[in-house]
Amino acid sequence: MSRAPRERRNARVARLSLAPYSVWAVLFIVVPLVFVAYYAFTDNSMRFTTENITKFFTATSTVLGEDGSQQVVRTYMVIFWRSLKLAVISTVICLLLGYPTAYIIARAAPRTQKTAITFIMIPMWMNFLIRTYAWMTILQDTGLLNHLLAALHLGQAHIIGTEAAVVIGMVYDYFPYMILPIYSVLAKMDTRLIEAAHDLGCNNVGVLRRVIFPLSLPGVVSGVTMVLIPSISTFYISQKLGNGKFFLIGDAIEGQYVANNLHFAAAIAFILMVILLIAMALMKRFTDSCVRGGV
Amino acid sequence: MKKIIELRDVSKAFDGETVLDHIDLDIYDNEFLTLLGPSGCGKTTTLRLIGGFETPDSGDVLFLGARINDTPPHKRSVNTVFQRYALFPHLNVFDNVAFPLREQRLPKTEIEEKVREMLALVKLTGFERRNVARLSGGQQQRVAIARALISRPRVLLLDEPLGALDLKLRKDMQQELKNIQKATGITFVFVTHDQEEALSTSDTIVVMAEGRIQQIGTPIDIYNEPENAFVADFIGESNIVDGVMRADYRVTFSGHTFACVDKGFQKNEPVDVVVRPEDVDIVPLERGMLRGVVTSVTFMGVHYEIIVDINGFKWMIQTTDFVDVDEEIGLYLEPDAIHIMKKSEYSGMFGDYSSFSMELDELSDAESEADE
Amino acid sequence: MKMKPAAKVYTALIFLFLFAPIAILLVFSFNGAKSLSVFSTVSLKWYRELFRDAETLNALKNTLILAVCASVLSTGMGTAAAVGINKLRKRYLRAALDTVTNIPMMNPDIITGISLMLMFVFVGQLFGMATSLSFWTMLIAHITFCLPYVILQVLPKLKQMDPSLPEAAMDLGCTPLRAFFRVEVPEILPGVITGLLMAFTLSLDDFVISYFTQGNGFQTLPIRIYNMTKKTVTPKMYALATLIFFAILALLLLTNLVDEDDSRRIRAARDARRGRRSHAHRPGSRRPLRIAVSLLVVAALAIGAIGFYGQRAQPLVLNVYNWGEYVSDGSDDSLDTIQAFEAWYKETYGVPVKVNYDTYASNEDMYAKLKSGAVSYDVVVPSDYMIARMASEDMLLPLNFDNIPNYRYIADSFKGLYYDAENRYTVPYTYGIVGVIYDANQVDEADADGWELLWNEAYAGRILQFNNSRDAMGTALYRARLDVNSTDRAVWDEALAALVAQHGLVKSYVMDEIFNMMESGEAAVAAYYAGDYFTMLDAEADSVDLRFYYPEPTNYFVDAMCIPAGCQNQELAEIFINYMLSEEPAIANAEYVYYASPNRLVYENEDYVNDMGEEAMKILYPNIEQFAELYNQYAYRNLDQETLDYVNSLWETLKIN
Repeated sequence: MSRAPRERRNARVARLSLAPYSVWAVLFIVVPLVFVAYYAFTDNSMRFTTENITKFFTATSTVLGEDGSQQVVRTYMVIFWRSLKLAVISTVICLLLGYPTAYIIARAAPRTQKTAITFIMIPMWMNFLIRTYAWMTILQDTGLLNHLLAALHLGQAHIIGTEAAVVIGMVYDYFPYMILPIYSVLAKMDTRLIEAAHDLGCNNVGVLRRVIFPLSLPGVVSGVTMVLIPSISTFYISQKLGNGKFFLIGDAIEGQYVANNLHFAAAIAFILMVILLIAMALMKRFTDSCVRGGV
Repeated sequence: MKKIIELRDVSKAFDGETVLDHIDLDIYDNEFLTLLGPSGCGKTTTLRLIGGFETPDSGDVLFLGARINDTPPHKRSVNTVFQRYALFPHLNVFDNVAFPLREQRLPKTEIEEKVREMLALVKLTGFERRNVARLSGGQQQRVAIARALISRPRVLLLDEPLGALDLKLRKDMQQELKNIQKATGITFVFVTHDQEEALSTSDTIVVMAEGRIQQIGTPIDIYNEPENAFVADFIGESNIVDGVMRADYRVTFSGHTFACVDKGFQKNEPVDVVVRPEDVDIVPLERGMLRGVVTSVTFMGVHYEIIVDINGFKWMIQTTDFVDVDEEIGLYLEPDAIHIMKKSEYSGMFGDYSSFSMELDELSDAESEADE
Repeated sequence: MKMKPAAKVYTALIFLFLFAPIAILLVFSFNGAKSLSVFSTVSLKWYRELFRDAETLNALKNTLILAVCASVLSTGMGTAAAVGINKLRKRYLRAALDTVTNIPMMNPDIITGISLMLMFVFVGQLFGMATSLSFWTMLIAHITFCLPYVILQVLPKLKQMDPSLPEAAMDLGCTPLRAFFRVEVPEILPGVITGLLMAFTLSLDDFVISYFTQGNGFQTLPIRIYNMTKKTVTPKMYALATLIFFAILALLLLTNLVDEDDSRRIRAARDARRGRRSHAHRPGSRRPLRIAVSLLVVAALAIGAIGFYGQRAQPLVLNVYNWGEYVSDGSDDSLDTIQAFEAWYKETYGVPVKVNYDTYASNEDMYAKLKSGAVSYDVVVPSDYMIARMASEDMLLPLNFDNIPNYRYIADSFKGLYYDAENRYTVPYTYGIVGVIYDANQVDEADADGWELLWNEAYAGRILQFNNSRDAMGTALYRARLDVNSTDRAVWDEALAALVAQHGLVKSYVMDEIFNMMESGEAAVAAYYAGDYFTMLDAEADSVDLRFYYPEPTNYFVDAMCIPAGCQNQELAEIFINYMLSEEPAIANAEYVYYASPNRLVYENEDYVNDMGEEAMKILYPNIEQFAELYNQYAYRNLDQETLDYVNSLWETLKIN
């Protein structure tokens, strides 16, 4: 049964309470994106051009290959793939580390859960730049980690300035974003479902694989999104922990902005945005069918 | 008796689908009125119209003679006990019950006194500080009633309030509701799809189907004198067969002409004949007005419920005598066991027990109701 | 449920990972030395300094004001929006709103930041505004990215709520509005509070979006920290982070108690539904906590309001835009020159003045912000080549030297330099020379000569290079004795080739990181600005022995105070510049920044000379008489846009090697 007059009143309330947000969303979410597109497709004198876009795909550089030979590569493709690679690795590590953490927390006593989640969140309140800075102190060759390794006679680890350091920074900075959504799904999960699965003959692994994990997919998806998106576009972590030795796509955007090439910066941002939106749409479709098919 | 609420030619549609179709209904002071019908019949919508949660598309809702179509709920002297009680989870028992009084800004001492009184009435004294989430279903029910009654509305609307309770509790609550209604003198408008509940509690029953009122009457009228096949079938068990009125007090069905107590039909008018299962007597074959073969026997405790095939039409008969399956038996009907109804759109749709599945029907009813 | 031992160990390791960096900054906040990698003595020095540093405290205040305003406003609007979305029945509208709401979450913050900046700048130009970015644009940006999080917190609570609850309230005598506040709000309050906290957290921690949308006179902490990039991030920031940590801890524990109570209620409800009669209950236990939280919110609002009012009540405002860590901040009992100016001005002119002191990380950063019309300032301190560029683009105003009598103390060598041949636009603030710093414990003295040291394979993996294109290319060009201002692409290609060859030897491309790396012995060789060598020297580890020399040729630079077009109060700006040239503040700044001063009041002051010591004076002020000559020969000049773009693309090439 539907409800028409309530509907009418609801519609009025909905309109009223939505009005400020709708206006805001159009003005400050939608319109700015139009501006990104506008700047991406114009030159300095605001004339239409596709040059910025083509530059992203075609600009080349000559670099030294592994064997010392000179190779011509597409500059921004290299930057983009490296960003993607590091972001994906970070996301996977976050997921592999974060899922068990979330699972353990969700299965703990309610009081422990609260405390654990609070402590997971605390680092988020410390300034992100300062946090990253502290990692430099830990990871550098004469840093805390190496002192520790030396004390344990485990040799030396050269981490700072490598891609590994950037990955560590990303994992660290975005780790809570992975745990929190997974945790909230797992904590709300009906324990009777798990009992039912056991009852129907699943062992622990089976329950995890066939019941718990499929049911927690929505949390996993939002965790993956919330880690992947910021890692792909970061520019501070790569500068500090990567020792400035390589560019990520965020560095490229920031670099172009600082070099006063607003239009090209907008073009990179625009392309990144389009790629991410497509990827997210695909991911949503994939997981939707998974969730439906799996349960 | 004074009319409190009148519905005048009220219609209502949702998304083009008619839910109420020109309803006229009078509700009197101090009566216990039940809206009875299967899910989707419009009974809840009728209740919501009275409560002010819906406005009619056409027609009027009158309160003590005044049109209240557009009066919002908080300005109506009508309160509701919601299907799942709608107790405020952030308030305890006392605060839930005191809610309307606080809204009226009564002095604190008065509020306390009234709440105490009301909790006593619903037998919840001592539960004042209890968190409502920690009450049992029956207790929550009482809080909901207390809360709805505390501001002394003229009319209390109850939307399937007993649906969530188990059978035993339900019976007790039915009685208790009746007592509360008597004690307070407030008009109760009760919505249910459970005919037994309706029969046992109400002063007046309004049977509804497909957005129309099928019959209004006392429980006894409704049971004994159903106006059409729908009512006959919905209230209690009925065998409904096609018949022809030969003359006043004489009706032919199943190949036999019976004496009956009905009159006023035209000669040879086709009619629906209702025979309640408990009104059929089993007799030896030779004394039987009708004869048939027993196709199933179910033991029900007080009686057996047997299905008898009479000329291909399956009858249900309730009897204390034991008969065997496949046994051929004779059936005897007293004239007052036969009730004649005019043909209606429901003729031929009910009253045959060839695919007996009443329990299943009710189950699915209850489910769809809960889904609403 | 009991945790298994393996689970316990695992969780412990995870928390170790999460809190290791926090432990680090906690420990180093008590470091006696100005280093984030070498611990000397336990000291409360940085806490003391922190509370004396008006600019940092101001940035903290700004951060809090912004976070409070953004979180409260976004929570209000977001909650209303969630209520509306929840009541919305038209499917396509809902889908559209869902999509739009998701955009700020699906979009990297850098894109959100840039997109808003582009729009604000465009609109600003459209209406011919002097500055298109301000506190308000930053607030709008913060509200925008907080909104989806609030909505996503509140919406599920609304969906979970029994829709007959508000109806019941109306039935019992509430108007729809009252029903909303008396019944719906308490039901969704946990979601609203979580949303508020999330918005507050996000706003507090945001750097990227703030970076692109900040306006004049309103810099937040993250931006201030980022802009310390040329100099070192002071341990003050660690002290501040430590304080924030404990404040947050207290706040979270408090709100956690609210949630705790809430979850207990939910659990009780679940138990009741399952027919379990549960344990004893505590009547009304929620109330005091709710009150506490409300008080907190009110207090935060009050701070916001006061801060706001305080800002608006200032009649005279001077907006200064300078490098991070480029003015004396009052540490070590020195003069806080900005505060001193405010006090002096009030005393002299009888009216209060408020200096909004903002910082930037690089010339290019500053230029991009000014050029786009995003911000406007009254005083900026660019380097020479950037001054030339700005002057050629009419971005600077000629100074009225009648208001700057102290200009007479500037040494003649610093007048008439190429970037301002007619002495119209600039008053030199500092100057310096790029030199090579090395750790004598790691580097053979024999190798310590010329630029070659930076290409010496013996020190592979221990060499630091500038992380900005101009300076890094510069080292290669000086090494090859090529023109650092060439417009010939072949010259730049050659520089790149040298840098690519060096890439494998380089440990790190650095700006501020150089301090930690050299102080701790992490790296052995670096090129940097002479003055900074002494900052490192102050904090070097016991195992490190830093030395310094000038390669030939090398870069000479001057940073000068200028008044950019769009200045709101030129006379006040000139008074400020003049004040900065007067003896006490000039010496304080020179001692803090450690760069050479072109001001005779400074370098001829006996106390200053004694304080700096013989070695420092020798290195910082090597040959002031011939400065002009060397400067005109080797300083960076403004490059045309085409060359700049080319250099920039080469820089990217280096970074993908």
